[in-house]
Amino acid sequence: MVPLGQVVQLEKIEPLQGYKLRIVQEVVLALLAKQASHGYQLQARLALALGPLGGALNAGHIYVTLGRLEKADLVRARRVDQAGRPDRKVYELTAAGRERVHEWLSDTSWPKPAPAEFHLKLVAAAAAGLADPVRLIDKQRGELLVGLREAQRAALAEPAGSVAGLLLEGVVLRLQADLRWLEECARYWNAAKG
Amino acid sequence: MTVESETSVLSAQGLCKEYGKGAALVRAVQAVTLEVERGELVAVVGPSGCGKSTLLHLLGGLERPTAGSVRLGGSALERMPEAQQARIRRRDLGFVFQAFHLVDELTALENVELPALLAGASPRGARARASELLAQVGLADRASHLPSALSGGQQQRVAIARALANEPLLVLADEPTGNLDSSATTELLRLFEQLHARGQTVVVVTHDERIAATADRLISMRDGAFVDETKLAGGTARPLSAMAGLEA
Amino acid sequence: MGRLLLIYRLVVGDIKRRPVQSALLAVVIVITATTLTLGLGLRNVAQKPFAHTRAATRGPDIVIQGQPNRGARGTPARAFRPLAHATGVAAIGGPFPLAFARLTAPGIDVPVNAEGRTSTPTAVNQPLVTAGRWVRPGGVVIEQGLAGALGLHVGDRIRLRGRAFRVVGIALQTEQAFYPACTPGLVWVTPGDAGRLATPSDPLGYEVDVKLRHPSAARAFWSTAAANAFSKAASGSTISQSWEAIKSEDYRVVTIDQKALLIGSWLLALLAIASVAIVVGGRMTEQTRRVGLLKAVGATPRLVAVVLLAQNLLLALAGAAAGLLVGWLLVPSFSDPGRGLLGTPPSPTLTLVSMVEVICAAMVMAVAATLIPAARAARTSTIRALNDPARPPKRRPRLIAISSRLPVPLLLGLRLGSHRPRRTVLTTASLAIAVTMIVAAVTLQHEVDLKEQTSSQSGLFISSSIGGRVTHLVWTLGAVLVVLAGVNAIFTMWTTVIDGERPTALARVLGATPRQVSAGLTAAQLLPGLVAACIGIPAGLGLYELAGGHVATAKPPIMLLLAMVPCTLIAVAVLTYFPARAGARRSVADVLRSE
Ligand SMILES: Nc1ncnc2c1ncn2[C@@H]1O[C@H](COP(=O)(O)OP(=O)(O)OP(=O)(O)O)[C@@H](O)[C@H]1O
Ligand SMILES: [Mg+2]
Repeated sequence: MVPLGQVVQLEKIEPLQGYKLRIVQEVVLALLAKQASHGYQLQARLALALGPLGGALNAGHIYVTLGRLEKADLVRARRVDQAGRPDRKVYELTAAGRERVHEWLSDTSWPKPAPAEFHLKLVAAAAAGLADPVRLIDKQRGELLVGLREAQRAALAEPAGSVAGLLLEGVVLRLQADLRWLEECARYWNAAKG
Repeated sequence: MTVESETSVLSAQGLCKEYGKGAALVRAVQAVTLEVERGELVAVVGPSGCGKSTLLHLLGGLERPTAGSVRLGGSALERMPEAQQARIRRRDLGFVFQAFHLVDELTALENVELPALLAGASPRGARARASELLAQVGLADRASHLPSALSGGQQQRVAIARALANEPLLVLADEPTGNLDSSATTELLRLFEQLHARGQTVVVVTHDERIAATADRLISMRDGAFVDETKLAGGTARPLSAMAGLEA
Repeated sequence: MGRLLLIYRLVVGDIKRRPVQSALLAVVIVITATTLTLGLGLRNVAQKPFAHTRAATRGPDIVIQGQPNRGARGTPARAFRPLAHATGVAAIGGPFPLAFARLTAPGIDVPVNAEGRTSTPTAVNQPLVTAGRWVRPGGVVIEQGLAGALGLHVGDRIRLRGRAFRVVGIALQTEQAFYPACTPGLVWVTPGDAGRLATPSDPLGYEVDVKLRHPSAARAFWSTAAANAFSKAASGSTISQSWEAIKSEDYRVVTIDQKALLIGSWLLALLAIASVAIVVGGRMTEQTRRVGLLKAVGATPRLVAVVLLAQNLLLALAGAAAGLLVGWLLVPSFSDPGRGLLGTPPSPTLTLVSMVEVICAAMVMAVAATLIPAARAARTSTIRALNDPARPPKRRPRLIAISSRLPVPLLLGLRLGSHRPRRTVLTTASLAIAVTMIVAAVTLQHEVDLKEQTSSQSGLFISSSIGGRVTHLVWTLGAVLVVLAGVNAIFTMWTTVIDGERPTALARVLGATPRQVSAGLTAAQLLPGLVAACIGIPAGLGLYELAGGHVATAKPPIMLLLAMVPCTLIAVAVLTYFPARAGARRSVADVLRSE
């Protein structure tokens, strides 16, 4: 059994080159749940799932992650001899690692949407008379639309049935939701302005 | 006098449209000025009733402005007699509507060839062009279907093919995805991107963020006037991976 | 109570919303009711006017006019006496002196026979005074048909061969057919006045009226011994006429008129039904969406049907009332030909029964035309009614293919016209009926003109001839038919414009000019017009034959008949121009926005 404290500890591990290590750790663990794999196999799997977003994820990240997991006693490495291959390590889950995977899968916490900050920004701006909330909203909308434009292009470029396309669709829909909320904000602040 | 740039397709100056009189006066469009460059995709967004459709009708010469001028490809639309406007419309403009507005008793193919026939093309030429356009919008196999036998998304694609029949200078689209669900919208988005990539000039009025996001330029309207303009083309966003939650 | 109020509101609201259509429906019903009123009014004309009149005037079986034998001695009465004793003769009247004279008055100059009569009634041929009194010195009594044709009344002053007379009475007779079937006309004066009208060049003639024991033997009488006896008594220019001949002369007028009226009113009835079907059908297609809305808010199918029926019934009622009034005013001019006989009053009275009949007929017509569409509207599912505002137009692949080869206005016209084939057929039929009647009228007019020419060459006077009367009647009928067909054409155009609002707006968005659109809309009506003209010309000639005329003798000029085609087309184009233009002018943005 792995004490709960370890989970907290894991989250505090420094992010690596922009990727939230926690996710990569959990994902790597989950990917090992069925059978032991080489590091490069894990990397290929992830690259496929992330599609155009997986660009910065190289083999190095995977090995660093695996190293940390090994240290935390969540995986263990076995050495197999493989002709003509540089990588001879095969990683497999420990009992604690398996437990951890189950916990992760049954965790229903959701990356929080973040309207509060912008909302408070608008309220504060209006109260202080520093800026016109409607202008702020317009600016923000432009920003989000530029993002949407990019995400959408990437999504449309994905071939039909691509698993990475699903991720991009998620990004697009999230941005849409934010834009719709901005529309509501605009309506409110417009009315408040009189 | 404004100096028109070489590449300007559409130029509207101080457009106003008022309906009614006295207490019932509605200023649907107020002092709108707009330049659209060749190959540009411009989206107009804004709350319901802010005058987007009216603006589009003014730009297409479907309604006469109370004040201001519209120049399309160099000719002043607002001063022309309607017959001449009609000629301009069939040569230089393509319309796409929220309600599709296909002719019920004509097949997809016949709907698409209609503008060419109206413009005096030979029946054979019109048919060939219509088949080609239907293939471009991915409906070659639905050519002989009546609109009633097509899904909303398919109908709208037929309508877009029809708008392109005479290779117009400018396509004006009013809420093209207003009656469509998300997956049909995706189909249409793809079509819009293709149009854009081919250099078709488009002005689109929309509620849909995704359609708006295909634009090079986004114009926000409120109470009949332009209140904000955002250049989307060339803008820098957060990296995609950040938007996907792969960053802290 | 609340429901009644609701029905009232909906009905009145709809009539107000589409005032033109409502007015047109009312007009069609007014015209139909008028026709019916006319027909019923004429039905009131006595069935056997000649028999009645003959009985009332002790009509002669044989009328003989001529000079007594020059050799015969004594008074004319003695000269004709042998006739009274001829076998088969029951009684004789006369001899009465006859003077030929011209009757003149301001604007009048007609030849008449002035018959000398005393105040003692005779056993045979006693004219029946219908106005004023019987003859006296200086006072003339005029035959009723002649008085009607010349517009003479008791108290008027006239001249006979230049002598002043005053009209003292008007009378019916059966010694000759009434004017204008028989010319010269007939007037009565005292024998003294008759004698004064004679001149050496126009000496007095005499008339003897014979009553036979067996009136049916009138014709045979001439080939018997009586003829011998007569030829002993009279010589010179004798004219004789049997009562059958007189009757058939009289009836020639009445039957021709009645035939024309009968055929005319059949055509009118057909046209009226077509009109009501067009108008009601057209209104119903617009109603579908409204029906959907009503049902969506909870109206039962029955309520919907009641609303639809009620509004047409209301219009029918109004139309019937107006039609009754117009018909009542028109009846006298139509019944004119019968005025020379008894039992044909100049203005037939409209009985309560016939008024009820007219109103009922209008109601039945409105109900019949509304019932099917109303039932259909009430039965259609709410959603369908809401979703498709009108019955979706039928697709005609062949027509679409053909039209794409035509110039733009024809392309639009053909496609718009094919949307509502039944309505197009009805319009074609109504136009064809109108053309038929006009062709018949033109043919008749031409025959009459021909006759008038030949008769004026021979110096005979027939100004107000039978032909003229019938032509007047036929032209009047033709005019009514044309009005009705015109109303139909305008209405069909309206409904085509409304039906085609969306497609035409679309065509304009796609670059059709307003002129192309209105030309297209007009073309949609010109096609039926062309077909109608092509059917109507032979049909009109057929009708003429059917009504007893002879196209071969009428010889209507071919060019005139062929001119009917462009005339019809021009008329249709003119009638449909304004609705078509209105259709092409409506703001495209408005039409498309209202979707
Ligand atoms: N024919 C007309 N007569 C009077 N007012 C009109 C007419 N057409 C439009 N309006 C008014 O003009 C304003 C703008 O209408 P418009 O249809 O352009 O809005 P919109 O921005 O397209 O709205 P939506 O997003 O709902 O389509 C509205 O207030 C509308 O009520
Ligand atoms: Mg709109």
